[in-house]
Amino acid sequence: MSPAESATVVATGLAGAGVLAGMLLPTRARIVTVGLCTAGLGGAGMAGGVAALGGARWSAYLPGLLPLAGLHLAVDALSGLFMAVAGAVVLAVAVYGIGYACGRGPRGTASRGVQSSLPVFALTLVLVPAAASVSSFLLLWEGMAVTSLVLVLAEQRERSTVREAGVWYAVMTHVGLVLLLAGLALFAAGAGGETFAQLREGAAGMSPGARGAVFVLVAAAFASKAGMVPLHPWLPRAHPEAPSNVSALMSTAMVNLGAYGIIRVDFELLGGGPGWGWLLVLATGALSAVYGILQAAMASDLKRLLAYSTSENLGLVLIGVGAAGLFASSGYPVPAALALAAALLHVTNHAVFKALLFCAAGSVVRATGLRDLDRMGGLRARMPATAGFFAVSSLSAVALPPGNGFLSEWLLLQSLIHGMTVPGVSTAIVLPLAVAVIALSAGLAAAVFVKALGVGFFARARSAGAASAEESPPLMHLGMGLLAIGCTALALVPGTLGNSLSRAVAAAGLHGGRPLAGGGLELRLDRVAASLSPLWVTAALLAGVVAAAALIRLTTRRGRRTNARLWDCGGGAPTPRMSYTATSFAEPLQRVFDDVLDPEQDVNVTPVRESAYLVERVRFQRIVPDRIEHRLYRPVLAAALAVGRAARRLAPGSVHRYLGYGFFGLVALLLALAVGW
Amino acid sequence: MTDSVYTQLLDLACGAFLLAAVVVLWLRQLSSIVEVFALQGVALAAVAALLGLHEGRPGLLAVAAGVGLLRAGVLPRLMLRALTAGTPRRPYPHYQEDVSETRETRPLVNVAASLLSAALLTLLAYAVSRPLVELHPTPATRALPVGLAVVLIGFFTLVTRRRALAQVVGFLLLDNGITATAFLAASGVPLIVELGVSFDVLLAVLVLQILTTRMRAAFGGTGIDDLRELRD
Amino acid sequence: MNGTMTATGTAAVTAQVALVVAGAPLLAGLMRQVRALMEGRAGPGVIQPWRDLRKLLRKEAITPVGTGPAFRTAPLLLVATTAVVAALVPLASTVTPVSGSADLILVVALLGLGTVALALAGLDTGTAFGGMGASREMTVAALVEPTILLAVFALSIPTGSTNLSAIVSGGIHDPVRLASPAGLLATAALAVAVLAETGRLPVDNPATHLELTMVHEAMVLEYAGPDLALVELGSQMRLTVLLGLLASLSAPWGIATTASPAALALALVLLALKVALLGAALAAAEVFWAKLRLFRVPELLAGSFLLALLAVTASYFLTGE
Repeated sequence: MSPAESATVVATGLAGAGVLAGMLLPTRARIVTVGLCTAGLGGAGMAGGVAALGGARWSAYLPGLLPLAGLHLAVDALSGLFMAVAGAVVLAVAVYGIGYACGRGPRGTASRGVQSSLPVFALTLVLVPAAASVSSFLLLWEGMAVTSLVLVLAEQRERSTVREAGVWYAVMTHVGLVLLLAGLALFAAGAGGETFAQLREGAAGMSPGARGAVFVLVAAAFASKAGMVPLHPWLPRAHPEAPSNVSALMSTAMVNLGAYGIIRVDFELLGGGPGWGWLLVLATGALSAVYGILQAAMASDLKRLLAYSTSENLGLVLIGVGAAGLFASSGYPVPAALALAAALLHVTNHAVFKALLFCAAGSVVRATGLRDLDRMGGLRARMPATAGFFAVSSLSAVALPPGNGFLSEWLLLQSLIHGMTVPGVSTAIVLPLAVAVIALSAGLAAAVFVKALGVGFFARARSAGAASAEESPPLMHLGMGLLAIGCTALALVPGTLGNSLSRAVAAAGLHGGRPLAGGGLELRLDRVAASLSPLWVTAALLAGVVAAAALIRLTTRRGRRTNARLWDCGGGAPTPRMSYTATSFAEPLQRVFDDVLDPEQDVNVTPVRESAYLVERVRFQRIVPDRIEHRLYRPVLAAALAVGRAARRLAPGSVHRYLGYGFFGLVALLLALAVGW
Repeated sequence: MTDSVYTQLLDLACGAFLLAAVVVLWLRQLSSIVEVFALQGVALAAVAALLGLHEGRPGLLAVAAGVGLLRAGVLPRLMLRALTAGTPRRPYPHYQEDVSETRETRPLVNVAASLLSAALLTLLAYAVSRPLVELHPTPATRALPVGLAVVLIGFFTLVTRRRALAQVVGFLLLDNGITATAFLAASGVPLIVELGVSFDVLLAVLVLQILTTRMRAAFGGTGIDDLRELRD
Repeated sequence: MNGTMTATGTAAVTAQVALVVAGAPLLAGLMRQVRALMEGRAGPGVIQPWRDLRKLLRKEAITPVGTGPAFRTAPLLLVATTAVVAALVPLASTVTPVSGSADLILVVALLGLGTVALALAGLDTGTAFGGMGASREMTVAALVEPTILLAVFALSIPTGSTNLSAIVSGGIHDPVRLASPAGLLATAALAVAVLAETGRLPVDNPATHLELTMVHEAMVLEYAGPDLALVELGSQMRLTVLLGLLASLSAPWGIATTASPAALALALVLLALKVALLGAALAAAEVFWAKLRLFRVPELLAGSFLLALLAVTASYFLTGE
């Protein structure tokens, strides 16, 4: 039995046990058993994925499991990477989830429906990359969509906004499914078979038009899952409203599958798409990166901020994938392999740090009941461990050394800079712009996470909820600790991933050699003069900090630090109300990007009754709406509503009319057949 | 002059030529805009002179001198006169209440966005002229996108600026761009054509100068938007 | 790499860091002195910043009430990041043990880490000043980033690498590259970015203490004693390193490309001269500049972004790759 096979079997068994436990056991036992089963499932998935990354391959055909088509599974290094990432995140988040759901009553997250959906969702996350035929893929994909929808709706009794988010999510995810179904059906029809092996063989014989259509349909479907602008509106709604362990999974393992889909179908099965298609992917990624991080900069809801940041990071991934496709379609596999490796590394890094960010945010939400950064503050003192975890993950997210996010963005920038060797007008124009986009999004990400950490966790509490926060239970810390270890390992010794990434890139059909050379301590690029030793940089930074601290110790006469009041301009101690909030922090950026964000401002002046000149009250309101959602979806929804209203006239209530529709329809069909159309 | 020095100097002149167009978008003070335009004229003359020296054509040197005289000397002088003639002398020269006449205060597209647009226009110029360059790649034709970019930036200035003088500069940028393209692509048009074009440009500026004076007399300002009143 | 090379390389790194640490306050003193002389004042002398640092270091350390670890570690991080950058950048020699890791993107990111640490410290105080400074600083830092990376891009095209040692030695061996439009534009863009990153006029006024105009000073308002000494030293080192980087990129002559101790000594002297010259020129220019309104700064940065983009395009449409 190969490792991937045993991992799949173990994971499926554990998921089944989890579902049973979720349905049958009493609350507390249910949470613990489901959590342990899910964690074990994640561990098995991770082990299988790592084995596949090590070079083990496995494929299976189980005709009995799925009627008509049978279930095809296959694991190569590319699926292994996504399985391993999903498994690792599932493992840590499941441990966290036990602590998260315990002690909050049998409703909401702890309810039977939610707890029995959780293992199935986790299982689909791990197994979607292993699917090896269109029908198996779609089945697992839809399973993932439905279970995640149940999980998003977990807290619908507690907040009315959850239901709206659920509707958006359900609609958007099924629009995506329709696109995917159409694209894959077209592909299967063109290739003359539905297993991935047949698709791979048949792709070359398809006409360019059909290939282009498949490319665009499939890319759009997967892009909507990855939260790409303009198909993103479900993301900033569903992620904040879902329970935090679910958002952690959705925002990492699930959106990753969007990227996986594009790499698998468009890159590998189609055998590289058209150049314009990859330009489109790259442009979508660039747009999402900047738009996502800009919205995150404006958001004051912590989880909404993180959700938009997911949109940004997946945008960066798609920039890498698009660049890889562009280079490959011009016939340059070496820079293409580098760009794809950068994208895959960013997938890994983002999954780990974003899961940790969502877990830490969940810990805050659980302790304070607040998602609004404006009302938090001072949590560092009340919840030191959570604040520490949030700080670690923020460092990873801001793309600054020694965080792990920096490494993948560095690699991405290197691949774009060295992509200049690829001739052609499109690369010459697109690459500098892509570099600028990555730089801008990295700069804005720094502002975003300084805001989240500095306003949310530092300074003093700005509301009663934040002032009385309690630290979360130890199991949650354990889960977050696992993720923090992952972040640290990825930040310090990314070189160990070099071989795995090379195998995954080769499995995607790119044989550009090993993009990453070098051992564990160094990240050195193959055939390109660039290297980075994260461990040494971190050590040098630490040495610098120690040296500076020692300098202070030696020169200061009085050793102890004394406390003193803050500078208050002589006006008495400053109150927490005077400190900067997330909204005020974002104000300069909002003014700079005024034309892009188009904020709505409303000043309402109420004069006193006797005189119009004396003001009694001024109410000032400013909303920064999601402009794309506003401009794009509102008209579509309004049009759909209008069509629906108009269609009402078709159904006046007359039974004769309804029967008539059927009759005339039949006659029309027969007529058409008779005419021979 | 060796080939590499020639290439280097030509590149520098073209770089300065493009940079001047960008700086015109960047600045608000109309008098500074005119000065930068004069510098661009110098760069254009330098391009022509370099081409003339390299190809050993004295005619081109004469054209360069003419171009320099007209675009770095006469036209800026005329525009500055239009600018100062419009602002009546005040009793306290240091104290100006209304600076809007000498400044492009609120262009239709704000300055940051204009600069970013200029960046995109340059890339567009590069993309469009690439096939042309590949026909016959020499140092001069490689700089062809510069001319085209200046044409586009000039057009952009013409579209987005409110003050009549800024628009004149936009028009002249456009013309400079066309001239530069002609030099770079075909080592210049025949002398007589160049003279004719220059004469046309001179006339156009004179007409515009009269127009600005008349506008100021009619509306008290040179905001182009005021012309809309004539329609009704 | 043989023994003597490693020894000279290590000496070069140590000398660079030592020179930056020791010279940074002197540079600040020089710049103030130049400014004072041009404004008709006598000026306090070049070593006044060192006297200030000594005075501050001798005072007791103060912890404002309500601040935490972020506030206390930020000055240390600021100095540490700048020192690491000083070690990485080929200021005096391109043959050092760390020259393989001297990546330009890493250098930019390390400086960014210092900025972020200080911004977090500003927020940690919980005062309006701290928040305001942090917010403005991060806004400017976010907008500078595209300019810097595009300039990096432009500079790395002729060399085919973002490794600083490669870029600098490429510049030494092929000086035409430096005077090409691409090189000049990239240097100009980088110069604007340096002004913004170090908080000099016209982006920020380092001498102001008026709340409406402060950016950097507002952020560090709560620091006192040895912490303030470190913050001051860190900012001065940052300016020195960035001016040194600018000098290395635009005028790399004299930087040691071999492991000879004599070349290294000469390079160090030349480095001091170049940075002093740049600093004096900057100080002289600042006398004539006014601080831009905060919301005009994006225009300046958009302009420098454009210069950087033109540098990238120029580097392939003029040199015809």
